[in-house]
Amino acid sequence: MKKLLAAAAVLAAASLGLAACSSGDAGTAADGPVQLTFWHGYTEADGDVLQSIIDDFNASQDEVEVSTEVKTWAVIDDTLLTALSADQGPDVVAMPAERLPVYAAKGAFADLTDFYASADSNTAELNPQAVEMETVDGTAYGVPTGFVPLAVYYNKALFDAAGITAFPTTWDEWVDTAKKLTVDENGDGTPEQYGMVLPDHATVANGVWPSLFYGNGGDIVEDGTTAVLDSPENAETLKYWADAVANDKISPTGVDGVGADGLFSSGKVAMTIGGPWMSSIATENSIDYGIAAIPAGPVDQAASAIGVSMGITAQADDAKVAAAEKFFSYFFSEDVATEWSLGSGWPPLRTDIPASAVESNPTVAALTEISGTSRALLPGVVNSSDVLTEMDVVTQKALAGGDIPSLLSDGQKAIQATLDDQ
Amino acid sequence: MTTHTTRPARRYRPPGQLGGRGPLGGQAKRRLTIVGFLLPALAILVLFVFWPMISALRLSFTDASGFGREKYIGFDNYVQVFTDPDILRAMGNTVLYTVMFTPAAVILALLLAMALNSPKLPLRGVFRTWLFLPFIVSLAVAAFAWQYLLDPQVGLLNYWLSTFGIRIGNVLQDPVLAMPTVVLVAVWKNFAFYMIVFLAGLQEIPGSLYEAAKMDGAGPWSRFRNITLPLLNNTTGFVLIIATIAALQAFDQIYVLTGGGPYRSTQTVVMQIYQSGFKDLDLGFASALSYVLLVATLILSLVQFFITGRREKDTV
Repeated sequence: MKKLLAAAAVLAAASLGLAACSSGDAGTAADGPVQLTFWHGYTEADGDVLQSIIDDFNASQDEVEVSTEVKTWAVIDDTLLTALSADQGPDVVAMPAERLPVYAAKGAFADLTDFYASADSNTAELNPQAVEMETVDGTAYGVPTGFVPLAVYYNKALFDAAGITAFPTTWDEWVDTAKKLTVDENGDGTPEQYGMVLPDHATVANGVWPSLFYGNGGDIVEDGTTAVLDSPENAETLKYWADAVANDKISPTGVDGVGADGLFSSGKVAMTIGGPWMSSIATENSIDYGIAAIPAGPVDQAASAIGVSMGITAQADDAKVAAAEKFFSYFFSEDVATEWSLGSGWPPLRTDIPASAVESNPTVAALTEISGTSRALLPGVVNSSDVLTEMDVVTQKALAGGDIPSLLSDGQKAIQATLDDQ
Repeated sequence: MTTHTTRPARRYRPPGQLGGRGPLGGQAKRRLTIVGFLLPALAILVLFVFWPMISALRLSFTDASGFGREKYIGFDNYVQVFTDPDILRAMGNTVLYTVMFTPAAVILALLLAMALNSPKLPLRGVFRTWLFLPFIVSLAVAAFAWQYLLDPQVGLLNYWLSTFGIRIGNVLQDPVLAMPTVVLVAVWKNFAFYMIVFLAGLQEIPGSLYEAAKMDGAGPWSRFRNITLPLLNNTTGFVLIIATIAALQAFDQIYVLTGGGPYRSTQTVVMQIYQSGFKDLDLGFASALSYVLLVATLILSLVQFFITGRREKDTV
């Protein structure tokens, strides 16, 4: 009973404090620390590291106190809208990077232009491509918490068995290597083991085909507003890979991203393109794996990146926005950024943290070495999921033997219509 | 024997009439009692059905996203429903789904109900249970199970078929086969409910009719056509209407099995409502699309209702 009374007293005091707040002077330190609620979906070891970072932050000063609520990414996506409309949402929320522009375009996030401009925000060293994915119409609405290039994960045992010692660095070498690793034991035309798996739709984070397009100097959308899918470069890229799959049979057909992960983890393919989660999938399935950059195309070496963003929701008042920005600055300080990278398994977000600083985690070190090739996927495109659905049509039909020029021109029109609609 | 205490049998007292005992008596009090009992259910209906429906109607004329300011935009959302090629495609897919699902589910249910109703069938109870099982399983779970069965690389179905030299490939990602596959799973999942309704209808038909027909020399087909079918008319009408409504609202198995893909070939109207409302955060448009679906369902149900009603009159 005493406890209850005490709790009631605290509540009453708190509401008095709030009343004082609203009646005049905007939140002084006397009211206690600014309370921030933070939703995120880091549920594994990365969640523990994030929590300890937040605990350290709370202990390091007495103006801001962050309390976390862990939900899965899907739950965050499904509940954020209703929570915000009922004014019951979080002050800070993390979500897959491609979802941020949708919410930002609807006015759900605070404008962070001033934060990025401020010298003590620790954002100057952030990977510019990672910041690019937070930007809609030239305004940044969030900060990155993760940014990692897609990479090739390969099965070392199969490489050894085929006598391959060096990982390929160009497309031609890549296809040659894949041919050597493709085994059709019974000669029925359907290999039992494939050199690689090239998913043709719903690929890992939808980044496989953009990565290949970049390699030949192509792209999908420019400036977030103009479709550039229908280009001679992209036609060449599609033809190159459709030929490799159809004639050399280096990859099974009709596979999606999840299927590709499954094929790699069951040891049926030697190489797959994936994100950092492939490390744990491979380890769980006792596959001795290596990580390498996606080999360079004729024009460029680049890989589409997967990202996670966090933003300050529109329901946070000025005091809370300032508090959240303080937390972000702490999060991007060099030591914390290194700790986060090691704990989350993703490369550091700051470009001034070298691979040697994270070599205690070999996966992170390998990914950090290639993080310079990362490019944000469809930055600033609000309807990115619709654009990628249209692109899936093109790649899926192209690998099934469709007419590439007409596929590209149809895809271009559909993507432009989607962009105009946003 | 000694441990038993004997109690005199309670005398049966007929229950009093509802509200009929008080001095006020009369219709008013009786009505009040009825309303009192209905109130909890009504409150839930109003709060969770009627109020959201009215809100959605209002939202359908705005560009609401769920937060921030919303702007009244007149009939823009409705115009988009009937002009956007993706939405028209989703409507086409829904019609296709309904045209495939409804007859398949209803005919299968009727045939199996007649088989189960036949006294010649041994182990009738066992079959009834088995056939009813898919309906009890949660749809999402069933869809996941089918997804594993149909998986082109590790799926059992492909493995079994491949021993006969048949390769069906990745049916869920085949733009032509994905829709029939989704329908197949839905039929498998839902026919049992319609079957039970048919079974109830069949058991209402007096056996003497069949005996009389037999004596008159009517064969099985003739008995089916002239006795079973006409006397099941009400049941068939009911099953057709609920099957059609279920088909028009197809969502969960598609969501799990194909997510609307490959490239929108299984994107139905309800999938589109979910996509527009909860993924694109365009609640206004999603509400408008919901209302179009509601009106279409209502019209279709009424048409079916009158057609089966008319036939009923003809046969009597």
